[in-house]
Amino acid sequence: MSSENKRRSFIKGIGLGSALLGSIQYGLNASEESKKKKPHYAMLFDQNKCVGCSDCEIACAKVNHVPKGQHRLYVEDQTNPNDLKFKKYMRVSCQQCVDSPCTEVCPTKACHKDSITNIVTMNTDDCIGCKYCIVACPYDVRFINEETNAAENCNFCLNTNFKEGKEPGCVAACKYDALVFGDLNDEESYINKILAVKDAARLKPGFGTKPSLRYIPKLKTGVYDE
Amino acid sequence: MNEIINYSSGFTEEIGWEWPISIYLLLAGISGGAIIVALLIRFYKNQVESTAVYKASALVSFFTILLGMVCLVGDLTRPLMFWKILINYNWTSVMSIGVAALLLYIPLAFVAVIYAFEKELREKLPFLCGIIDILNRFRAVLEGVLFLFAVIICAYTGFLISVLVRFPLLNTSILPALFVISGLSAGTAALCIVARRFFKEDAHSSDMAILHKVEWPIMAIEIMFLFMLYISLATGNAANETAQAGFHEGVWSNVFWLGIVGIGFILPLVLNFLFGKKIANTNVVFYVSALCSIIGVLCLRLFIIYAGQTFSI
Repeated sequence: MSSENKRRSFIKGIGLGSALLGSIQYGLNASEESKKKKPHYAMLFDQNKCVGCSDCEIACAKVNHVPKGQHRLYVEDQTNPNDLKFKKYMRVSCQQCVDSPCTEVCPTKACHKDSITNIVTMNTDDCIGCKYCIVACPYDVRFINEETNAAENCNFCLNTNFKEGKEPGCVAACKYDALVFGDLNDEESYINKILAVKDAARLKPGFGTKPSLRYIPKLKTGVYDE
Repeated sequence: MNEIINYSSGFTEEIGWEWPISIYLLLAGISGGAIIVALLIRFYKNQVESTAVYKASALVSFFTILLGMVCLVGDLTRPLMFWKILINYNWTSVMSIGVAALLLYIPLAFVAVIYAFEKELREKLPFLCGIIDILNRFRAVLEGVLFLFAVIICAYTGFLISVLVRFPLLNTSILPALFVISGLSAGTAALCIVARRFFKEDAHSSDMAILHKVEWPIMAIEIMFLFMLYISLATGNAANETAQAGFHEGVWSNVFWLGIVGIGFILPLVLNFLFGKKIANTNVVFYVSALCSIIGVLCLRLFIIYAGQTFSI
């Protein structure tokens, strides 16, 4: 090959290469943009409003056909036994982590993030019941459904109410507005407006799983005369 | 833990992973450990024939891993769906990686059985000669790969449970190393028993002498790793201290001190060194101390699984 030819092919190569890199860059930007549009559904539990009536538990079991005696969510009574005047309740359920250990360890991808909504959910058909997701969950909120023998979690009613365009069963059932559900990536959503003005915490942030459940803690102890 | 808000209960009131998993972890350790030791002796001594130790290791490895599979599938809540794990892979899951490794390891362990009983197979089943000839051409390569995968099998069982962040006793980097070394310990012991009992290997043959010599350094490393695990928890943060209680509180602390330390370490040492050579060389002591090693490692797996999951954060 003459030096002339070499130079020519070199220049050609540069031209082609930059065109290729440019298009890859464009593609990456485009995919980043489409990622931004993906929703990030979250739930807010206000400890100041919850009265522990357990309407949410009942609604959840009914909507999602959870077997008797089992729960996707429950309300824990955290009232101090020495001070029964001041009740305190706590929602226990799947934290819908952004970096979810359960989806990472599931060997069959039965436990996965829904491709459209990004919600952590289950493909019951693929679950073999190895319980890896249950022991991997830092919040211990997964369980084996006694009827299907497959693992399960709160998935914001993805297959039930959500599919029908309704709010999750627990949110709809709460008479005290202690639960709010919405898209964090939607600036207009009510959940964003509340989070903008109220202090909310995430559980066990040390695990680095970035849970999508937010909690407004009960800090005020009440007005009373003593 | 000092957090603004949290809940104290969880969905699994009992233990998520129970004793079948402990048994599987023991069997996988024995399987990998036995073949690692036998292949090391074979490579080291440039052996070409199938020795009693090689035969024993091939049988032990193949059958313990098959039995382990039974435990593993039996522990599933949907055992008839187990085939899903063979067609769906999630490469961020240690379990998937383990299944892929097992898919290579189990046939290779079977090939080792064919190598070990080459002579017998040629005599009894002459139609297999062709296949054996083909396999023999790749013997060095296949044994090398088998060795590598035996290490992977031992190690992956440790990684499998060290990713569980909720349990400080399990979520440590020493666990895979501890599982490899204790697998070697139980594997060597199983190998000794089978070689002596079924292949009439002399207790003082040169292969057995090597096995006996390596047993003690393996045990020393195992003790060291356990000590390191204990110290790392004792000197760690509040969560680690919670898990350290597993060594002192509850039923499983007894399993640790009586099973792992007492039966696994002290009893074999006493039997082999305290009463002089005469007693140490008897048949009974030979079998008892090998059994002690296996029981000790079984207790270790039970302790890790149960105490590990009991003391969660």
